[in-house]
Amino acid sequence: MTTKSGLTKATLASSLAAAIALVSVQAQADAKKTEKCYGVALKGHNDCAAGAGTTCAGTQPIDYDGHYFKLVPKGTCTAMKTPKGAGSLTEKM
Amino acid sequence: MSQAQFAAALLDPDLAAPATVSAGHRSRFAIYRNNVAVSLIEALATRFPAVRRVVGEEFFAEAARLFVARHPPTSRRIAIYGEDFADFLERLPACAEIPYLGDLARLEAARTHAYHAADAAPLGPETLAVLSAESLADLRVTLHPAVAIIVSAHPIVTIWAMNTGEQPFANIDDWRDQAALISRPAIDVEVRILPPGGAAFLTALARATPLAEAAETAQLSAADFDLTLNLAALFSAGLVSHMSMPPEGTIR
Repeated sequence: MTTKSGLTKATLASSLAAAIALVSVQAQADAKKTEKCYGVALKGHNDCAAGAGTTCAGTQPIDYDGHYFKLVPKGTCTAMKTPKGAGSLTEKM
Repeated sequence: MSQAQFAAALLDPDLAAPATVSAGHRSRFAIYRNNVAVSLIEALATRFPAVRRVVGEEFFAEAARLFVARHPPTSRRIAIYGEDFADFLERLPACAEIPYLGDLARLEAARTHAYHAADAAPLGPETLAVLSAESLADLRVTLHPAVAIIVSAHPIVTIWAMNTGEQPFANIDDWRDQAALISRPAIDVEVRILPPGGAAFLTALARATPLAEAAETAQLSAADFDLTLNLAALFSAGLVSHMSMPPEGTIR
């Protein structure tokens, strides 16, 4: 170890262990409140974020395009009905 | 007639319309001049809703008008117009009794930047599991491009939240300094209060300081710095986009 740190390895190890415990509790608590739902957004109302330095939010060319998603409250996606079928949790081909 | 003259006359209502504008079109030039000012004032109102809420519509419009006359846009991007607005508000004598106004404007300006920052996939909480005490000490991270920190002597996050409808209005009994963390791990810009020492910790990490050293810096800035909490936040709030550890056995 070349670190001239006053923090002991033991402190770091215990903080790391505690942090891992903490994030797993958090993950269970809020397990993502939204899901990506494909094929339900109207033209220009999609939420997707693509590629470094770009955003494709709001660029969807046609209504209910199965290649674009919108974030919706968890558990509601597949129940959404559109003129082109229900929402999908995976990209529609 | 130069473009410069035209541009100067556009921003200063005390200047006459440029000579090349014929007498019959002077009134149209005045309309155009007014539209330029109004559109810039609207851009400020859009970017600084909490400031506007705090000082009120009328005061905001007047302050914005003054600002527009003195600080014409320097960028083509109107979404980030008002970079100096916070400093301007702080120098405005009428704002002296609202000491937090400048920091509030800084927070709102930072949100715009976070919104338009490059996208990057943040490292998730599972990252912690691949780290060991050894690798942790020398770990260097790259913060997510959208991450920004605004340190204030005032409860700036609470004030912002109450003036944007994120939190109901109430008396702030615990009036103390707050450091705001602005981030955008996915699509929405998030604003939260950093724990004690958190600002120093993240600022050090942003300079590629090894993690153990950054933790020490944070401890010096706040005695109650909690490494566990900050470590968890780093990965659960999506603040890190890359990390690098020196390979085992490297001598530096």
